[in-house]
Amino acid sequence: MDKNYGTYICTGCGIGEALDVENLTAAAKELGMEAKTHEALCGPAGREMLEADKNDGVNTFIVCACSRRVMQNEFNMGDETITVRGNIREQAAWCKEQPSDAKTQETIDEYTNEMGADYVRMAITQGKKIELPEPYLLETLSRKILVMGGGVAGLTAAKEAAKTGYEVTLVERAGVLGGNALGWTKQFPTRAPYAELEEPTIGALIAEVEADSKITVKTSTEVARIGGAPGNFGVTFKAFGTKTEWDAPAKVGVDEQDKIDKGQMEDPNDGLQKYTAENPDGEKYGAVILATGWVPADVSEFEHLGYADNDKVVTNVEFEAMVKDGKLAGINSVAFIQSPGGEEHDMDFPYTNSVTSMVALKQAKYLREANADAKAYILYQHMRTPGNMEMFYKGIQQDDGIFLTKAAVTGVAASGNGCTVTAKDTLLGEDLDLDVDLVVLAAGMEPVTKYENSINLAYRQGPAFLDLDLFDGYSDSHFICFPYETRRTGVYTCGGVRKAMPMDETIDDATGAALKAIQAMECTDRGVAVHPRSGDRTYPDFYMQRCTQCKRCTEECPFGALDDDEKGTPLPNPTRCRRCGTCMGACPERIIGFADYNVDMIGSMIKAVEVPDDDEDKLRILALVCENDAMPCLDMAAMRKHSLNSLVRFIPVRCLGSVNMSWIKDAMSAGMDGAILLGCKYGDDYQCHFVKGSEIAAKRMDNIADTLSQLGLETERCAVRQIAITDYDTVSGIIDEFVQEIIDLGPSPFKGF
Amino acid sequence: MKVNPDLDFIRYMKSAGGDTLKKCYQCATCSVVCPLSTDDKPFPRKEMIWAQWGLKDKLLADPDIFLCHQCGDCSAYCPRGAKPGDVLGAIRAYAYTHYGFPSGLAKMVSSSKNLPLTIGLPALIVLVMWFISGGMRIPTAEAMSQYGFGHFFGHWDWRWLAKNVAFIDLIMVPAFGLAVYAAYRGVSTMWKAMMTQYNVSTVYRPSVNQFIEQFLWPSIKEIIVHTRFNKCGVNVNRVIGHLPLMLAFIALLFVTAYSAFVQDVLGIFYPSLHGPMSMMNPVKMLANVAAIAMIFGVGVLWSNRSAAEAEEGTSATYYDWFLIYEIMAVAVTGLGAELGRLVGVPVLAYFLYYLHLVSVLMLFLYMPYTKFAHLVYRTFAMAFEKYRESEFVGK
Repeated sequence: MDKNYGTYICTGCGIGEALDVENLTAAAKELGMEAKTHEALCGPAGREMLEADKNDGVNTFIVCACSRRVMQNEFNMGDETITVRGNIREQAAWCKEQPSDAKTQETIDEYTNEMGADYVRMAITQGKKIELPEPYLLETLSRKILVMGGGVAGLTAAKEAAKTGYEVTLVERAGVLGGNALGWTKQFPTRAPYAELEEPTIGALIAEVEADSKITVKTSTEVARIGGAPGNFGVTFKAFGTKTEWDAPAKVGVDEQDKIDKGQMEDPNDGLQKYTAENPDGEKYGAVILATGWVPADVSEFEHLGYADNDKVVTNVEFEAMVKDGKLAGINSVAFIQSPGGEEHDMDFPYTNSVTSMVALKQAKYLREANADAKAYILYQHMRTPGNMEMFYKGIQQDDGIFLTKAAVTGVAASGNGCTVTAKDTLLGEDLDLDVDLVVLAAGMEPVTKYENSINLAYRQGPAFLDLDLFDGYSDSHFICFPYETRRTGVYTCGGVRKAMPMDETIDDATGAALKAIQAMECTDRGVAVHPRSGDRTYPDFYMQRCTQCKRCTEECPFGALDDDEKGTPLPNPTRCRRCGTCMGACPERIIGFADYNVDMIGSMIKAVEVPDDDEDKLRILALVCENDAMPCLDMAAMRKHSLNSLVRFIPVRCLGSVNMSWIKDAMSAGMDGAILLGCKYGDDYQCHFVKGSEIAAKRMDNIADTLSQLGLETERCAVRQIAITDYDTVSGIIDEFVQEIIDLGPSPFKGF
Repeated sequence: MKVNPDLDFIRYMKSAGGDTLKKCYQCATCSVVCPLSTDDKPFPRKEMIWAQWGLKDKLLADPDIFLCHQCGDCSAYCPRGAKPGDVLGAIRAYAYTHYGFPSGLAKMVSSSKNLPLTIGLPALIVLVMWFISGGMRIPTAEAMSQYGFGHFFGHWDWRWLAKNVAFIDLIMVPAFGLAVYAAYRGVSTMWKAMMTQYNVSTVYRPSVNQFIEQFLWPSIKEIIVHTRFNKCGVNVNRVIGHLPLMLAFIALLFVTAYSAFVQDVLGIFYPSLHGPMSMMNPVKMLANVAAIAMIFGVGVLWSNRSAAEAEEGTSATYYDWFLIYEIMAVAVTGLGAELGRLVGVPVLAYFLYYLHLVSVLMLFLYMPYTKFAHLVYRTFAMAFEKYRESEFVGK
């Protein structure tokens, strides 16, 4: 595309009052742009002006106005055009300082005008470097959905996906469909007044799926491996329990490969096809729904409850089986224990959520329905009955023979033909001593991913989901913001493998997962990112001739988008990519970039900042700001009229993971006095939208500190700060503190070179 | 504590007005809003879970079930629609039956199924006594205006004790004696149970005088001035009914005692004092005012209860209505007999007087087993409340 530029400076929203507009247009002129000004560029008159210029051939609009986070539609001039935003409102006009003893109005005006001019320069530079993105399109795209697991979640996902017209293959290890739900005698109520237990619906669900012509059911089958990428997954099936050469290979890292090559270690993938190999007999799928479910948790670790050595102590799943098999005869009293902590803590059994509370209520009802004189005791620390299930709880409570109390169960001892349960801290005001025929423990639902790969990917980063330990075995990517997502694009989990949940929630969950799978395929078809940068048409482009096979990008990609060949040259899978740019930040050769976001572009923007080399007061500090949380946080700070330090120049980045360390060097060599990265919180409770970006950036900054000290620069000149989106009242203080440290260090010795 | 819930007890409470007891989820809003509950010894939250768990013995030895005046604040504020006030009422009803002696009589009175027998028994006793006395005939209007009901059971010329008085005493004194004994027995069993339950050990025993002076009399004073009733929030208007009713009973107690003294003691020496009192006699005026106050008081309670049943879903119980009907019967038959006498219709007057005797006998005889029993059990529960905090008790 031949670019025709139009540069615009909006003077509305207080910009015209806070900044010297002539100074801004002069800055544009320096870079060869005649800037047009308008008092309300986003209004109808402003838009008319832009449209008129578009008709005159302008296709690259450089809009110096408000934050890029707002007015996106107003300044979207169409698919074949580019719009670049310079933020002179939130980052100059609105965050202007108030006069004080230290700074007069005149000085503040001067500093703020310099800020505004720098943002205009940066925007124009960006406009010059940016290219129109061409979406990445697959040659052939599969629109079939693979559903793994034939329980309630898998059956529902298959049914719902098929209803929307998509072809589905449902794989189940067992010989029959139904999963754990086959064992339930009755189900929780689903209809008002939520009082009566309902007959199982699993039979009807199975029949519906089996009768659906769009669904292919494969029982006694499992997935050997899934290779490829969304829109083009290559899936190999095998009979359950068998071994084949197409089984998913274990991850072999750089160090392991080294040892294998030296003969110090056995190759774990001996006899298996390489992960990049494609099975010609495999089937193609567009997206995968993982609904492989859960297993009942082992409760023998809680010794005081006697599960291991007392046959009168069973789990809720075992009790359900007793009911199903009609083995309640002679059982007149049962204690349902919900929390194993005794006097130490009040936590429920692990992996329970609200499910076990409701199961205990249901099972108490079984007992009462079987025997009118039976007594069911429910000893809980928490009764969790969310939503309409509160009505269920109320209904069960009405039963004369169901007795509930909060209690710390201190022990279960065998006595006579049954057990004696002892409990403290009860609502009855006294310690309890209950003689019962049977004790039922509320064992939780552990995701199968806690024990096995389950998904069996043939990816360079290994067959399993990553960081499972961080989430107790659940395959989360970002629980708070993106609950359906896994760390593998195009793979969506639902049901018990994702969270301990009851059946009605599972049905909602599976329906949601089916829709996510469809969304993934349709986005892939249009060549845009599915999540979280939905609709982004860019993707990372590799200039392979200069690749040194260092493997940093393949190792660091948080989503396993990059495979590699024998030599270690990356094999990109753009449809797996989430466009965070972590690979771009990792690459020491700077050969990875996006059409609208690359090393050269940001580097040039940094160099566009005017650094006075003879004024000790006018230091310049670069701030690279994550656009997911830190950027909105700064915008909100400006909206609240918090002043931002006028020595700092902010540049938004897709993720701190995309920050290439060459930008820091660019800033330092341009004579800037410091650089700060503002990104999401990282660690176990990370808030990074791309999971690892801010953590990786912090590591890289540690490494660059060595380089700086070799150059004779203080390592304190570069720093990373973690900003949450809610830090808008403190963020300017955090920045001021860093700036003060730089002021204390004095101007950079590189200034003027 | 070994716990074994009593399912029959739960079923009983549910049938006796406590049908909502299982709705409680132990938030303790009731104990907070209850105007009578104290910070140190709150209720009725704990009574609710004891009731849910069918812990009969704990409830029967709990003074708080009697300290409750069923104001209804707890029921009004309960977020779950459990009605602690009604549940405690059901528990009290059970307690009166439980502590009642002889238990056969207590059980008979507690159930609506036995209503024919409950009314028939006293009716038969009075009828038989009337027959035995030989006075069973309708007097002339003239005779009635001269003797009033003084010759109801006939007449003899033994000056020391009138035949009528002798027969009334024969009926009422044993009944009253049984009631007093049953109440004493019930209260002392309850007292022992409370002592055990709350682990109260007496350091040195108060004398009867000390007991009355320090525990019983302060409790009675509180009852007479309705201290606790007046604290009620939601249903404070019940005081409008209960206070006149209670004062009427006290007044009639005085009137009866005065009348007995004047007619049956002074009358021995001054025969002119026999026969109906003049309507202008201040004591007679008090009696008439008391009768009207009684009808008014019980009428207010009647309409309050009807309204509560219609508007708040309070369940109608035999236990509550029996006492209302019974007191209304005593008042209406008494006043009716008097009017019958004054207008000179002997048949009506005698018939109503017969019914009046039956209803008064029922009131006395059944006092320890019906809701009327609250006048002893609640008084002693209040005394216990004071006693367990006193110097006589080891802390």
